Amino acid sequence: MLWLCIQLPKLPLEALTRAHRAGDSAPLAVAQSSLIIDANRAANSQNVEPGLSIATACAYCADLQLLERDAEREEQLLQQLAQWAYSFTPVVSPRSAEREHNQPDNQFACLYLEISGCLKAHHGLRPLLQQLGKELRKMRISHFMGLGHSPSAAHLLSQLPEHRQWLAETKHAPTSQQWRQWISFAPSKLLDCNHKTIAKLYASGIKRVSQLLAIPLSEVGSRFGRNFISYLAQLNGTRPDPVPSFEPPAEFHNELFSPSPLDNSEQLLFPAGRLIRELCRQLQRRQLYSQQLCWVLDYGSRGQQPINVEVSRPLLDPQRLIALTKLQFERVELKEPVQALTLKCQQLQPIENQSLREDFFDEGSKLNESYQLIDKLKARLGHQALSGVTLKESYLPEQAWQNADSLTLQSKAKGHHLTPVRAPRPNWLLPRPDRLQQRDHKLFYDGELQLLQGPERIDGYWWQQRRHARDYYIARGSHGSLYWVFQDLTSESWFLHGVYS
Amino acid sequence: MNSAENFLQNKQLAKQANNEPLPPGQEQAQPLQQLLTRPDIWQLASGQGRSRTGISTGYRGLDALLTGHGWPRAASTELLIDKAGIGEMSLILPTLAELTRQGQMVILVNPPLIPYAPALVQAGVQLEKLLVLHPRGQRDQLWAAEQSLQSGACGALIQWQGKETPADKDLRRLQVAARDGDCLHFHFRPGSCVKTPSPAALRLQLKSDGEQLALHLFKQLSGKSGQRVHLARNPDLVRRDQPLH
Repeated sequence: MLWLCIQLPKLPLEALTRAHRAGDSAPLAVAQSSLIIDANRAANSQNVEPGLSIATACAYCADLQLLERDAEREEQLLQQLAQWAYSFTPVVSPRSAEREHNQPDNQFACLYLEISGCLKAHHGLRPLLQQLGKELRKMRISHFMGLGHSPSAAHLLSQLPEHRQWLAETKHAPTSQQWRQWISFAPSKLLDCNHKTIAKLYASGIKRVSQLLAIPLSEVGSRFGRNFISYLAQLNGTRPDPVPSFEPPAEFHNELFSPSPLDNSEQLLFPAGRLIRELCRQLQRRQLYSQQLCWVLDYGSRGQQPINVEVSRPLLDPQRLIALTKLQFERVELKEPVQALTLKCQQLQPIENQSLREDFFDEGSKLNESYQLIDKLKARLGHQALSGVTLKESYLPEQAWQNADSLTLQSKAKGHHLTPVRAPRPNWLLPRPDRLQQRDHKLFYDGELQLLQGPERIDGYWWQQRRHARDYYIARGSHGSLYWVFQDLTSESWFLHGVYS
Repeated sequence: MNSAENFLQNKQLAKQANNEPLPPGQEQAQPLQQLLTRPDIWQLASGQGRSRTGISTGYRGLDALLTGHGWPRAASTELLIDKAGIGEMSLILPTLAELTRQGQMVILVNPPLIPYAPALVQAGVQLEKLLVLHPRGQRDQLWAAEQSLQSGACGALIQWQGKETPADKDLRRLQVAARDGDCLHFHFRPGSCVKTPSPAALRLQLKSDGEQLALHLFKQLSGKSGQRVHLARNPDLVRRDQPLH
């Protein structure tokens, strides 16, 4: 096991100011309950330090800009970083900042990464660490790292300047002998325990961990408690050190905020493309797919507009998704300039082997083509313009069919299979029966009708409010057309219900 | 093949002829063979030699009249009709049923009434391969038809002309799309369109003579036109019981 601990000391500030440009040099500080938690470099240079009270900080620096700490955003950013780290290794554990009352943070937020499994994929320890550092710098997240054989050891060592120095130059993971040396060399104030315990340690003259380890464990236990002993054992590696494993959520949610509002749907395509590429990268990494892209156009104070793009097959190709989105956006009229664009995919589903395997065969690719066509048609014409037809079990002719919403282009669904009635039925059905004119015992519909066959009696639903009792006939019109007409037995009037075309 | 391609090819042929004033007999035959294989060249004499390239209509009498012994493949077929109910769908249903059985998609664009599922199943159509489109407006309708024809994913597209008559340019685009996507294209249009020219490979006028469906071959690419054929309706429909009224 090889654990990497990435500490994020400036997370409270970065969660609030990441959107700012790099060149901004106004002094900024994040405050919580009248204490400065974090300050940027410009504020630091004017002696504003974490732990000062707001009044003192303002006395040092008159034009200090104070921001309220936003724990929720911090947590969000940490989750995002955990997702980012998940692309390197499947074992990730985020840990949020802890603080004691009226003290600046004594524990920064940090990420634990188990990297022994992914060293080979990244060509060794050195390139992996470089890659991590580079990507973090690109995201403008300040950080420092430590390596250890257990999470608590990595956490301890990340605070040790000598270890960090070594980490910046090393090429190989050290042996367990070396870990012990690092740990016993560390000053005891770096131990992961509360201020009271550390004060007690120093009061008893224990300045280094080595001194602590020299004392028999039972002695330590009677002074510092059971928890402290188990912590020491975890540090030593004699006891397992479990950390909660990070489980990436099965959804995608990202937002792009545009500084200058967009008033043209074509302008939306650029941020949309960026979001889609991000989505595809994440989906590919986790072998998931989404059946729906939910776009939300945010008009600021004037409300939001959701737009849904449906995808019927697993599709990880950003270009195709962008094309579908483009078709959908072309239909949208922007009511107001758009301020933010959000992409949400709520239900991500795992890609099944079967659906991929099909593509290698001819039939599969044809099927794929038809799904692409259906997606395209749906995107431009709207969901309601497409339908299929299926059979339904019913005596009533108008209820013997129904619109099929989801098109099942694949081979027939197994299980119950309906068969239609054997009697001749018309190809076209009128949406609602059309009343026939009746004069002198003769029927007229665009000329006189001549009854050829019948009657076929359909009587049902007498248990419901409206009874349907009809006698159906096949009739021929004066132009040679064949019609399906019926006489309603309750009202005795005649209706046209279908056309034999 | 559109006129520009046609022109280019003719020009090329003319050029070849000019460059080689006295070509050997074999080489002269080759361009001629090329010419003869083109579908837009009408050969009167070699009617028997033609292969059965069409898709069978399911009616032997009609197949015999059509050049490819069936509906022209990858081309538009216009069905001109004024009055619904004379058997126009039964004319194409055997073909559609065969296509869906082969696993190809069939798309109906703007059908005038509800396609009635029980009757379609009786005719042998696999309903899960049937897609009904109701685009709003002429532009969306033409777009949907062209996209579907081009995609290569669908076996046949049946389209009903709305209130507006599509321009000649649009009809030509549909014909080209059907050729590119190798798709059967049936276009139901009112009988009043007989007078206006159309790029369709086959134009049929559908009427009823009271009992039977009367077909008039109005235009056929690389084939004879002007013939008439009468097709009987399904005997189950026209059988006469004793009238009750």
